[in-house]
Amino acid sequence: MKKIKKQDVPALLVKWQQDFTVFAPSKKSGVSRMEVWDGQDTAFLDRNRNTVIPPKANFLLNIEKMFDFRKEGGSYTLEPAGGEAPRQLLFGIHPCDARATAIIDMVFKDAYEDNYYLGRRRNSVLVGMGCTSPYDSCFCTSLGFGPAEAADVDMMLTDIGDAFVIEEVTDKGKELLAGAEGVTEATADDTKKADAAKAAAAAKVTRKINVEEIRKRIPLSFDDKKFWEKVSAKCVSCGICTFLCPTCYCFDINDEMLKSGSGARYRNWDCCSFPLYTKMPAENPRAEKWRRVRQKVHHKYAFYPELFNIIACTGCGRCIRQCPVNWDITQILASLPAGAPAAAEKK
Amino acid sequence: MSETEQKLRSEARDLLEKGRVNHIIGYEAGSLKFSTTPLITSDKEDTDRLVINPFINNNLSVFLGEVGGKAGIVARGCDARSIVSLIQDKQLAREDVFIIGVPCGGIIDLDKVEKLTGLDRDEIDDIAWQGDKAAVTIGGARKEFPAKEVLTDDCLSCEPPDPREYDLLIGEVGPLVTDGELGRSKIKELEAMTPEQRWEFWKSEFSRCIRCYACRQVCPACFCNRCFSEETEPAWISPLPRWQDNLVFQAIRMIHVAGRCTNCGECERACPVNIPLRSLSKKMEEIVDELFHYRAGTDKEAPPLMAAYQPEEAEDFIR
Amino acid sequence: MTQDAEYEPRILGFLCRWCSYAGADLAGTSRKKYPANIRIIKIPCSGRIDPLLIVRALRVGFDGVLVSGCHPGDCHYQTGNYRARRRMSITKKFLEYMGVEPERLQASWVSASEGGKFAEVVTEITSDLKQISPNRLFSDERDGTKAAQ
Ligand code: SF4
Ligand code: SF4
Ligand code: SF4
Ligand code: SF4
Ligand code: SF4
Ligand code: FES
Repeated sequence: MKKIKKQDVPALLVKWQQDFTVFAPSKKSGVSRMEVWDGQDTAFLDRNRNTVIPPKANFLLNIEKMFDFRKEGGSYTLEPAGGEAPRQLLFGIHPCDARATAIIDMVFKDAYEDNYYLGRRRNSVLVGMGCTSPYDSCFCTSLGFGPAEAADVDMMLTDIGDAFVIEEVTDKGKELLAGAEGVTEATADDTKKADAAKAAAAAKVTRKINVEEIRKRIPLSFDDKKFWEKVSAKCVSCGICTFLCPTCYCFDINDEMLKSGSGARYRNWDCCSFPLYTKMPAENPRAEKWRRVRQKVHHKYAFYPELFNIIACTGCGRCIRQCPVNWDITQILASLPAGAPAAAEKK
Repeated sequence: MSETEQKLRSEARDLLEKGRVNHIIGYEAGSLKFSTTPLITSDKEDTDRLVINPFINNNLSVFLGEVGGKAGIVARGCDARSIVSLIQDKQLAREDVFIIGVPCGGIIDLDKVEKLTGLDRDEIDDIAWQGDKAAVTIGGARKEFPAKEVLTDDCLSCEPPDPREYDLLIGEVGPLVTDGELGRSKIKELEAMTPEQRWEFWKSEFSRCIRCYACRQVCPACFCNRCFSEETEPAWISPLPRWQDNLVFQAIRMIHVAGRCTNCGECERACPVNIPLRSLSKKMEEIVDELFHYRAGTDKEAPPLMAAYQPEEAEDFIR
Repeated sequence: MTQDAEYEPRILGFLCRWCSYAGADLAGTSRKKYPANIRIIKIPCSGRIDPLLIVRALRVGFDGVLVSGCHPGDCHYQTGNYRARRRMSITKKFLEYMGVEPERLQASWVSASEGGKFAEVVTEITSDLKQISPNRLFSDERDGTKAAQ
């Protein structure tokens, strides 16, 4: 375990800037998100609550050019966009978002390898920072980890007051710290302090869900139209909970074409709360709101575990915090009926 | 529980019991600090959960088009105007809604409290009215802020805060502290800029927009079955959230809701990236008032603003 | 700025087919001189104008937009121009507040017999627009290239 004084962190970031574009949490745009570090702002060293825009935005761009196409005569030539993915270092990513990144990785390297996403991931370094003040909407501890988990990052920082204790998680992380100025070996006292800080943070996460019970009940709820109608009544079908969810990865693909027939193909975030998302020429299988809300919850708590053996929710609480009507996934999960609906009550 | 709340609960229960309404749409306590959440129910037992407090911030009339049958709805001044506006636009029949008016003492803007205290809302222990001051308790220490500093901008320039259209009025018509000038201070700042500066301002604001459409979804005046922003032939705006298209989307949305927007402020509150949408909607309200002496949702018999005309109308801009 | 002063503004005109469009025609056949800066779209009535068309024209790079219809009282459909007037006045004021120069939104009443007036209107608008810089509202780099499309 290593240690670095808070006052030495900026110099370390400057050093890393030689090889990476360094991102850190910032509110300067008007909303908190990972922003290219300006070399000045160090507020996040003392107060680092989770950003509104999740760091997934650094890997799954909201506007991504996939390729240009040119029409010549009767045929098209394609020119892939971008080239080599930028080398980026995300400083201060929270454990829930780090885990979420690992969760999305699974889908983007499954049957089809998505190099737009994976390229960015390969060229990225994640420097985690444990939470000292979880939000009242956080419920990560119910999902098998906690606000100080040293996983899914390259190194993990724990705040012990005027310094951070650093756990080197990957070789990449180790390399980045090797010989860095200000980085020392942590003493036994430091690690003791770090352990205490971790325990204190975990204790602050009071929102809980019962995963075992949920996993039992959720498959039974699929046909329970009444239940879903009830719990979806106040949802207004906006894009907030999915766009801001660190594990939501849906995208749409759009071509922008000039009269000449040439143009470019892009992709952008899409969202299963929108009726348009599943609209097809003849039918919309999720035209009703309850079906969309069911999809969102089942995707995270039923389908994803079936496919990848992990729940696609990390308890970051963004969907609760940012929802304009305070639709609360933990309440919905807690109210899942114990049994399947009677046949007559099905849709 | 306040007297108003008690009365509301029993009246709501009674309405359901007697079958006078099929649904009650109101507020209940939310799951986060100082939050409330819409309660939409046909079960009379649920009415015991209804609340009225300075944090009831949703404009519930957005749900009226969704629930079948007759709805009993809790309405503040701005909501009641939204309902009237929906009636004017024939989105709703007056007899299909039972308006439970609650005179509004103003909604506390948690963003303002956060700014004043330097803390997030979940780190604050208590916020309560103390006469015309808001008492904020943090870790045992109490601070007081004048109402003007914590009320939402919409409330500061609200007129009238008590519902004028209702079937039942619950509670006293409270003294709402208003300060129209203070409420439009952002607008004043913008007006003092050059067009170029204003454009740069909005450009930078809309660069953040993620096109979640929450502003549209929470807005009772946005009731189109298919929004222009989703049309594909032609595609009026790109589905990609570029600032240009985000800006066009919002400009047109604001023009579409002109004369129907009651400045409930819900769009700005919903926006996850803090775009000051109310500085647009409020300005639009002023333009409409100045040009046509029209105020949204104040007269259910009046034709909607954009469906009407006077042969003599300002046309100094026409050659 | 010197370059701006010499630039030729591109104007999109939405002209009512019953009056202004015929007026423009008359201006042409009677050889009235007016700047060639305007492209014309024929609309069935000024009441067809949608603020979206105006904003879209600016978005694709036109420097100014003209909406022209029949004089008050003369609309072929009785009320189309009254409705257009309301929409236009709101749109103009609102876009100005967002930062669009008022010169970019123009309106006129031109009847089928007013070929001369049409020529005047176009001349005036063109010179108005020359007073302000080309439309770079939607370009990312406000120093030249127009926005995509
Ligand atoms: S953020 Fe809330 S209102 Fe919006 S889609 Fe999600 S649950 Fe529904
Ligand atoms: S579902 Fe909600 S709590 Fe879970 S990861 Fe997504 S935003 Fe966070
Ligand atoms: S709510 Fe905000 S971010 Fe979402 S579409 Fe509206 S302006 Fe954009
Ligand atoms: S923005 Fe306009 S078209 Fe879209 S829903 Fe609102 S009123 Fe309708
Ligand atoms: S535009 Fe905004 S302020 Fe106006 S009615 Fe809609 S949500 Fe309310
Ligand atoms: S027909 Fe010319 S404006 Fe209506």
